[in-house]
Amino acid sequence: MLTHLVGGQVVDPVNGRDSPGDLWFEDGRIVAPPAPNRAADLTHDVSGAIVLAGGIDIHSHIAGANVNTARLLLPELRQDGGFDPAPIGEHIGRLYACMGFTTVVEPAISPNVALQAQLELAAIPFIDKAILTVLGNEEYLLRLLRAGESTAAMADYAGRMLAGSRGLGIKVINPGGAAAFKRNIRSFDLDDQVPGYGVSSRVIIQAMQATIAALGIPHPVHLHCNNLGLPGNVETALATIAVAEGKRLHLAHLQFYAYGREGPRKFSSAAPLLAEAVNANRNITADVGQVMFGQTVTVSSDTLRQFNARGQAHPRKSAIMEYDGNGGGIVPYRYRRNNFFNAVQWAAGLELFLLVTDPARLFFTTDHPNGAPFTAYPDLFALLMDRDLRAQWISSVPAEAMAVCTLPSITREYTWPEIATMTRAAPARLLGLADRGHLAPGARADIAVYRPQSDKAAMFRAAELVFKEGKLIARRGEIVEKVFGRVLTVQPGFDAAIEKQLEAYYDDLYGVPHTAFDVPAHAIAQADPFETVPCAR
Amino acid sequence: MAEAWIGGAEAPLEQAIGAAARILSESRCAVIAGLGTDIAGAEAAIALARRISGAFDHMHAAAVLRNLDVMREGGWVVTSMQQARALADLVLLVGPGLTASRQALVERMRLDAAPTLAPDRPRRVIRLCPGRESTAPALREASVETIGMKPEELPVLLGLARAQLAGRRTGNVGRQKKPLSDLVDALRNARYGVAIWSTADLDALSIEMLCGLIDGLNARTRFAGLPLPPEDNVAGVVQVAAWRSGFPMRVGFGRGKPEHDPWRFDATRMVESGEADAAVWISACSPKAPAWQRCVPLIALVAEGTRFAVPPEVVITVGRPGINHDAVLFDAHLGVLAAKAASAPRPAARVADVIGRMTETLTVAAPC
Repeated sequence: MLTHLVGGQVVDPVNGRDSPGDLWFEDGRIVAPPAPNRAADLTHDVSGAIVLAGGIDIHSHIAGANVNTARLLLPELRQDGGFDPAPIGEHIGRLYACMGFTTVVEPAISPNVALQAQLELAAIPFIDKAILTVLGNEEYLLRLLRAGESTAAMADYAGRMLAGSRGLGIKVINPGGAAAFKRNIRSFDLDDQVPGYGVSSRVIIQAMQATIAALGIPHPVHLHCNNLGLPGNVETALATIAVAEGKRLHLAHLQFYAYGREGPRKFSSAAPLLAEAVNANRNITADVGQVMFGQTVTVSSDTLRQFNARGQAHPRKSAIMEYDGNGGGIVPYRYRRNNFFNAVQWAAGLELFLLVTDPARLFFTTDHPNGAPFTAYPDLFALLMDRDLRAQWISSVPAEAMAVCTLPSITREYTWPEIATMTRAAPARLLGLADRGHLAPGARADIAVYRPQSDKAAMFRAAELVFKEGKLIARRGEIVEKVFGRVLTVQPGFDAAIEKQLEAYYDDLYGVPHTAFDVPAHAIAQADPFETVPCAR
Repeated sequence: MAEAWIGGAEAPLEQAIGAAARILSESRCAVIAGLGTDIAGAEAAIALARRISGAFDHMHAAAVLRNLDVMREGGWVVTSMQQARALADLVLLVGPGLTASRQALVERMRLDAAPTLAPDRPRRVIRLCPGRESTAPALREASVETIGMKPEELPVLLGLARAQLAGRRTGNVGRQKKPLSDLVDALRNARYGVAIWSTADLDALSIEMLCGLIDGLNARTRFAGLPLPPEDNVAGVVQVAAWRSGFPMRVGFGRGKPEHDPWRFDATRMVESGEADAAVWISACSPKAPAWQRCVPLIALVAEGTRFAVPPEVVITVGRPGINHDAVLFDAHLGVLAAKAASAPRPAARVADVIGRMTETLTVAAPC
């Protein structure tokens, strides 16, 4: 079926478009305008509306044992049937689709809980999905590094874990920190070593960078740094940027590392410093992890950090789960608008958005649900695009918080091409999804149409039209047709000899077969559930 | 071999599914109970409950919710059997129910050997108030100590230990004085302790006291709990229930949104009180019949060999997941959901397929 979108403002920075014009698509793909004698089967008049590729969220905790534990931990917060920080799968798909997002990455799944995560993803309709496989704290990997094994050996291991879990890339979370916590270590810095292994975060990060390069995986190391949330941790982030030594590195939820120790309360925004470092190092990409005010629940595989954060839990309870590798920690938390610290966090995130100059290297996230639920995206878009709205918010938070940041002095407003780059083009490129994030013929017909209005948040909350592979799935916040997307994976391959080594290792150490945690395709009750993204090797 | 019966008489499977769909279409308050099934079966059953605005429960819900209540009231620190095997220099086997039914699990943890990641640290195994069960053969070799005997003494023992570790003066501990100081010493000296309990065999107070004790120990050393859930894939069904409804089992959809109420949506209560006007009983993992006495229009999807006191309206024999057909189930040893290939494959109906076809055959409109 040939569909024709007529008269919209097509914003497609990859192909240099930002002008009124038409868009055609057929059989799930964008096509060139047809010959004049061929009429469209379906025409949508979108005059005056903005036409973008479907949104891509690179970092949102939407599935897996940690997220599901967050659901189970907080029944009192969902008695109305929904709780935005941990919605059920069905609602995740609907809420994202209505906002015009069509691809979402769950960024933290340990290999041993991958099957549950994949089953949960299968229950999320409308969007395409992917997981990042968490590596960096497993005893096997630490042993490889202690033994000084080659990058090839690391690549075989990582390739095998990606294949078993069906990941799109590799996430590294407080590398070595979770392993050290099992040995009763309570803080873990970049050059601290895991007892018994003599391996530091620095060593793990650099080894994983080399491993990913060897595997040819499009997505660079997706790193959750040490010392998340601590005053003065900007030093950690800056040192970590130096660790990369010019090689590609993605820093997750950078806002949580943008803290200095200035001011009377020894807590301040160091976002300008960090933004400057990101601007100066073109090998670095980052997502923000913006804080927005309200009740949420923090969900992280940084067990050390989550354990230490238990004192701030609201409501006062938490769940810490420890297993091979990272484990997980669930700590509910409420960000308060009138709280000095929370206001500084909120400001630091916005400063990163507004001071990092290249929207192709800075990604739009709240680290759902850690900074805020993804349902806060519309408000966040509005804050980025409207300095008057920002001024209103600034006047509503503690003045002493605004005294330790530069936010009130920043006048930048995001333009539509910048929004399109940050939430469409750049994420597609970062993940290696060549047929997404743009609107050239051949691209996937994942399309979001927004109707400009004075309430920008309302515009983003309920896109005028949303198409998934050419099918109209949502119109002004209402679902039109239910579809199911697929799970994106990479398959860089590995030397089969790793199987025997892992088998012996798992049998000796844990008494379980290493294949027990794999995700077989037949376990997913959906035809053709996976799609392979090509690797360079 | 017949696989379906209507009113006690053999019938083709499709007819039985049709009869079941009619009962459910006419019901105003149906409950899907038992729920001893694989992940796919549970997904289908919860979707059916939503579709007919009914409720769902699991046969082991009481035990699981008792445990879960401790987590959702105060939180906890837990770990896996693999971590216990690899790291634990102190293992507490807490309360009854761990030596007999859990034999295989305990054996696979190799409690008689030193932790695999800390081979220089001998492992200490202590049974707390195990009741009168005999010592497990696998543990005979190990130097298993026993502190306390009667399960009813457990919360007191745990409470006293917790108080002493917190530096509080404890009252008259009577004849528990020596065992108590032994326990406190062991807890103090552990580098990585794991406390294992059987969810079905511990009372709420003991679980709460134990989790509080573990929490306190983590101020200075490392300690974690390891609850072992009952069978019939209840731990798997809890997970499905959470990602499909936001809650564990005992959820009703009668008011258009999922509501969780452990009392209101207790299937046995719903049937015994006459509130439920139809029930689906699913027990594919083992041949179990419902515990309720009252007659209710009943559709049973059960493993071969299930005996009913009163014949249900519709009976459909289903394969055992992981035995007769491939399935995803909670694996108690791995502590996670895992794919299990059929160990004795045979052609048999699957819960997910039967419930799926039943749902398609319903004559009630889907709720908006």
